[in-house]
Amino acid sequence: MDSNKKYWKGLEELDQTTEFVELNKHEFAEPIPIEDVLTGGGLMGKTPRRDFLKALGFGVGAVSLAACQPVPVHKSMPYLIKPEEVTPGVANFYVSTYEGQAILVKTREGRPIKVEGNPNDLIGKGGLSARAQASVLDLYDITRLKNPVKNNGDYGWEQLDNFIKDELTAIKASGKNIRLITSTITSPSTLAVIADFITAFPTAKHINYDAVSYTGIIQGNQNSFGKAVLPHYNFDKADVIVSFGADFLGTWISPVEFIRQYVQNRNNKSLEAKKMSRHIHFETGMSVTGSNADARIPIKPSEEGPALISLYNAISGKTLPGDASLTNNKVATNAVALAARELVAAKGKALVVAGSNDVATQILVNAINSLLGSYGTTIDLDNPSHQFAGNDSEFTEFVAEMNRGEVGAVFFLDANPVYDYYKSKDVVSGLKKVRLSVSFSDHNDETANLCTAVAPNHHYLESWGDDNALEGYYTILQPTINPVYDTRQAEHSLLVWSDSATKDYYTYVRNNWDQKLLAIGGLTGQKGWETLLQTGFIKAAPTAPGTYSFTYTLDSVSQKILDHSKALVASSGSVEFALYQTVALRDGKRANNPWLQELPDPVSKVTWDNYANVSPSDMKKWGYEDGDVVKIDANGYSISIPVLSQPGQAQGTISLAVGYGRTISGPVGDNVGKNTFPLYSLRNGTLQTAGVATLTSTGDNSPLAQTQTHHSIEGRYSIIKEATFKEYIKDPAVRSGGEEDHKEYDLFWQKYEHPTYNWVMAIDLNACTGCGACVVACSAENNVPVVGKDEVRRRREMHWIRIDRYYSFDDNGDGGKTEEHEIANLDSYDNVRVVYQPMLCQHCDHAPCETVCPVLATVHSSEGLNHMAYNRCVGTRYCANNCPYKVRRFNWFNYWNDARFENYIQNDHTVLVLNPDVVTRFRGVMEKCSMCIQRIQAGKLKAKIEKRPLKDGDVKVACQQTCPANAIVMGDANDPNSEVSKALKSDRTYYVLEELGTQPGVGYQVKVRNITETEA
Amino acid sequence: MASHSESIIREPLITGDNITYAQITNDVLRPVENMPGRAWWIGFTIASLGASLWVFAVSWTFWYGIGEWGLNKTVGWAWDITGFVWWVGIGHAGTLISAILLLFRQNWRNSINRSAEAMTIFAVICAATYVVSHMGRPWLAYWPLPLPNQFGSIWVNFNSPLVWDVFAISTYFSVSLVFWYTGLLPDLASIRDRATGIRQKIYSVMSFGWTGSVKTWQRFETVCLILAGISTPLVLSVHTIVSMDFATSLEPGWHTTIFPPYFVAGAIFSGFAMVQTLLLVTRKVLGLENYITMFHIEAMNKIILLTGSIVGVAYLTEFFIAYYSGNEYERYTFLNRFIGPYWWAGCMMYGCNVLMTQLMWFKSVRRNIPISWVLSIVVNIGMWFERFVIIVVSLHRDFLPSSWAMFHPTWVDMSVFIGSIGLFFTMFLLFIRVLPSIAMGEVKLILKSTSEQAKKKLLAHGDLDPEQVKYYKESLVKFDSVEIADYQKV
Repeated sequence: MDSNKKYWKGLEELDQTTEFVELNKHEFAEPIPIEDVLTGGGLMGKTPRRDFLKALGFGVGAVSLAACQPVPVHKSMPYLIKPEEVTPGVANFYVSTYEGQAILVKTREGRPIKVEGNPNDLIGKGGLSARAQASVLDLYDITRLKNPVKNNGDYGWEQLDNFIKDELTAIKASGKNIRLITSTITSPSTLAVIADFITAFPTAKHINYDAVSYTGIIQGNQNSFGKAVLPHYNFDKADVIVSFGADFLGTWISPVEFIRQYVQNRNNKSLEAKKMSRHIHFETGMSVTGSNADARIPIKPSEEGPALISLYNAISGKTLPGDASLTNNKVATNAVALAARELVAAKGKALVVAGSNDVATQILVNAINSLLGSYGTTIDLDNPSHQFAGNDSEFTEFVAEMNRGEVGAVFFLDANPVYDYYKSKDVVSGLKKVRLSVSFSDHNDETANLCTAVAPNHHYLESWGDDNALEGYYTILQPTINPVYDTRQAEHSLLVWSDSATKDYYTYVRNNWDQKLLAIGGLTGQKGWETLLQTGFIKAAPTAPGTYSFTYTLDSVSQKILDHSKALVASSGSVEFALYQTVALRDGKRANNPWLQELPDPVSKVTWDNYANVSPSDMKKWGYEDGDVVKIDANGYSISIPVLSQPGQAQGTISLAVGYGRTISGPVGDNVGKNTFPLYSLRNGTLQTAGVATLTSTGDNSPLAQTQTHHSIEGRYSIIKEATFKEYIKDPAVRSGGEEDHKEYDLFWQKYEHPTYNWVMAIDLNACTGCGACVVACSAENNVPVVGKDEVRRRREMHWIRIDRYYSFDDNGDGGKTEEHEIANLDSYDNVRVVYQPMLCQHCDHAPCETVCPVLATVHSSEGLNHMAYNRCVGTRYCANNCPYKVRRFNWFNYWNDARFENYIQNDHTVLVLNPDVVTRFRGVMEKCSMCIQRIQAGKLKAKIEKRPLKDGDVKVACQQTCPANAIVMGDANDPNSEVSKALKSDRTYYVLEELGTQPGVGYQVKVRNITETEA
Repeated sequence: MASHSESIIREPLITGDNITYAQITNDVLRPVENMPGRAWWIGFTIASLGASLWVFAVSWTFWYGIGEWGLNKTVGWAWDITGFVWWVGIGHAGTLISAILLLFRQNWRNSINRSAEAMTIFAVICAATYVVSHMGRPWLAYWPLPLPNQFGSIWVNFNSPLVWDVFAISTYFSVSLVFWYTGLLPDLASIRDRATGIRQKIYSVMSFGWTGSVKTWQRFETVCLILAGISTPLVLSVHTIVSMDFATSLEPGWHTTIFPPYFVAGAIFSGFAMVQTLLLVTRKVLGLENYITMFHIEAMNKIILLTGSIVGVAYLTEFFIAYYSGNEYERYTFLNRFIGPYWWAGCMMYGCNVLMTQLMWFKSVRRNIPISWVLSIVVNIGMWFERFVIIVVSLHRDFLPSSWAMFHPTWVDMSVFIGSIGLFFTMFLLFIRVLPSIAMGEVKLILKSTSEQAKKKLLAHGDLDPEQVKYYKESLVKFDSVEIADYQKV
């Protein structure tokens, strides 16, 4: 009990005499005469025996305390006083933003553990990409910089600030340039901070530097319409989409948004309205987008230009100067003619996009789109995207500036040009000539390693800020955890170094919103701010579309394009190469994220590596096997990289992914794959992804870690069912097997009652694009361990949901060739069709796994789920053997504690990312998709607490929640109005391996392709 | 029985001259009562090394996890269950010889049943080690047993073939052990009666105070018949249940009703082969050619031929049914055995089991001891590959082609298997040192009627049909323990 009364030891304390204060500083009022005792002089003291006992007592006490085992520090602290908003066991959701999307961050006990899409988000409507799902793990990366660094030694903030301010003052006085190199910044407040910084340092300039840029499109629009913008595309308004290498469902500009838009015209709802878009895709390597197209035509990079010119000629009726014939590619020639016809027929609802970064090419594309009336419908120049503003020539000029010694200071924010610029050596030599180089990187990366200082930025989950990815759409970024390490927001650093009046960035953001931005959303004041922090975004009214007429003369354009194409033609003995980004790693900034490294590439199913994609016919011709290491020489750079047979790869070409071959990213990402950024080339001011290379075999073989090594369905049409759109129109139940009679064998099986709920799932194969977001979301939600490259090679990855990808060839509307021996005899693998099938535990009502478990570790619930009791499993693995879908995962090792698997989580910090609602599994125990039972229970509990019945949408499983295409729907089959019941009623519904009688709870919907006979 | 004489046309089951009861005891107990020879030491050293390897490999697995084996999420069982079924199968010969041949009054079992039943027990022990070591959490290996518990209580899953295995293997082991031990009692008493000192005390305890009185013998024979009656169904049921591990699943290549008879035949097939492997060497090294004669060897080879042919017919049936069913998964599975990546394992399986065994049709083959020994090893290799093909080749390519994967064994897989062979031989070699490898009492039973010397006496008496005598003389030619010269004059 607290008492206000104070007792003093004596008048000295009351008076606070100096001696008292002095003496009070010591531990003991009287010093203990240890020295005397030890030196033997103790006997000379006044009270020798007493002193001796004092010393002895103290000494023994001290020694015994010191000798005791230190009490292990248990790093869990119960709350003595509960923080207002934190209830242990109950999650709090905070709005925030990631890459311009409005997100919800799930926090438990004050720390974020999962990222979800905000259902009202304009871009994804609740869907998120795999990278967004994986972003939460980066917060807990123990190899992040924990404090500022100067000259590769630890430093303090105050010291650093003083140092930098002094340097900047000196540089400002010298008149040398100051440069801020950043990835495209879409945050209005950050841009304002930078503007203030430039005001303080007039020689400063902000350069947007995107490792993979869209300068071609922006510059193309500048030339075509006088507007240097990256447009906003509306794939949902397009009935016919023709893409030339634009991977819009995978990595091009805004894939989450485009997936959502694209699928709207192809999913169940659209099909039931008898409507389906048409997608024709020309590309070199098989991309995610190409694999979803109705018609996909492989073309070499040197053929893209002539193809576009032919398309323009066909649509416009004119003939541009130059020979644009594709003599070697008859299929492409026909396809271009067909595409032209279809595009013209769909005028006003058509869209042509190209992935090229070449200005001339994009100008031609603009011309085509203009003829098709796309501007104002499928292409919006008035409400553009801000997502990529990088200008290649600006950065190239900067590198030249550095090397000329004109740059005094450079700041890198989210930029790593020493790794991802194609002429890295120039950046390195340039940096040496810069007096002050500072990186805001959260890791010691290739660029930060060479900088004078590193002022590590917060992780976005620790930061205040905002975003404005699309014109008129503003999202708020708020921290969900106190800064974990001694890092500081880059904006805050800039404010300090520019001696800004605003001392911290939160105030700055708040002011910015109060003064400028809240009004856009019709909000004001504190109340408006709080509303913003609840909703996550504001949306301005869109600008009305203007009219755009294309008047640029195309003669020089077509000549430029043809010249470029000629330069790309490979002589015999060389191949053309095309660089691309993978869905998981993109430009390589997040290479240290194990969830992303282990996410199988949607098309190739390779993890932990990049490789050279080679056409199977070329593999045969050159005598390569998968994994053979070849040396690739191009542009004065050479790498040795394994090859992979890729059906659909244009013959005579190879495709290489960028974003690999990091050398300083962290223990997870270092030396994974090979760096292909140096293979870029600069042409007409923009960086080009295509070129010519020579291949030489090295004789080595480095097996790739693929999660799937057999790629054809072997004629097993009860697994994948496909139909054409024409067949579907005639008969919606075509191929679904609904018309066949199934004999029910109920003799040995009791029918399960589902008195309360019956949890089932519907997966629309027409909506699934194969992006893999569900895989990462599930791993994050359910604490699925990462096993590493070696284990994936041994086919032991732990993902509970996987996306199977099958190829079929020469499809003449009959399903095509799907059997191994037929495929091996093909001459050409160009005519390939791809289908994706997410496969997870089917929660069979007649589960083969349940019968065979000796200890009843897997049983059926009254709600239609197949349960897995981890603590009962003894690990005989019979259940996995008996599962026809092979969805069960065994813990071969103790991934949480076995030092051989330490790649990211075996430390006290990273384990905080684990979902506390899901137990981690020990070795020897079987696991599998539980249909997020923890979410089902949470949903039921919430309904119970709120004294209402559970309604559809209360429970969303992790994979369903993050799917940008809404391909996965899970719900209660007992509720006839639930989304899943309605989806399963579709004529297209079928069950995989239905004839086995397992009665799965997951229904798939027949894949419908919009193919026309002329392609067959 | 001893007072009647057996027909002359029956081949002798004990060869040699002047074999007395004492002679039998001396011959059989020589390895038990004397220091082991060099051959035994060499064998024991190698076997012990193998057993140590087994201890090391299994400990390694327990410590690090099943991930040390070559298994993956597609192929959940490989060398572990192959080894398990292989060992359980091998054990079946012993029980068949001990029990079924007793009920069928086949006297030729008397000299081989002791070793065969010992082989069974050691084989079942090796199989049981696999049951425990293949589990992900072997320290909970008792959970599949329906023991009373405080977890609710939780029962085991009686629908699961693995639980049936628990009952089958445990009853098999316990019944075999009891039967074997009961049969040992008179022999242990013989050892006791000749032993001194501590050995006498030990064998005295082990022989349960056997007196050798008539009543005791009467009871002994009754008990043996009863136990034989109990053991007989086990010969058929145990491997039937083991085959259910596969037959009741839905994997193509596993899901077939032919498995129970097919597996039982295969088990007897490989069991007899192992008996041959052991006894052909043992009889030579221990000088027991007079008791384990060419008749025994040929009889066992004939059983090998018969059961091997049954297995061959089962193979043909499987192929036919796979085709006739029209089931695409079934058809592919069987095609895959020949044209898939494991075609070499398929060839080993079908080649060793069917082709090599058919050589036994030829008298010259099945009466040739070195060839018989080599073929017995070939049979066991073939049977190992059969289980490997059934398990791994069916699992690695089943329904969904996306999960098709290869299996590659690791050094741990191989060490556990080779080590288990070492463990088996260690136990068998110890058995030879400590217990009589031939059932002395039972052999003595047939000495007066079916031995060569008894038949010589019969011949000497005269008044036998000369045709029959000629037939008898011809049948003696194949014996390697008979002096043909003795019969020239008759």
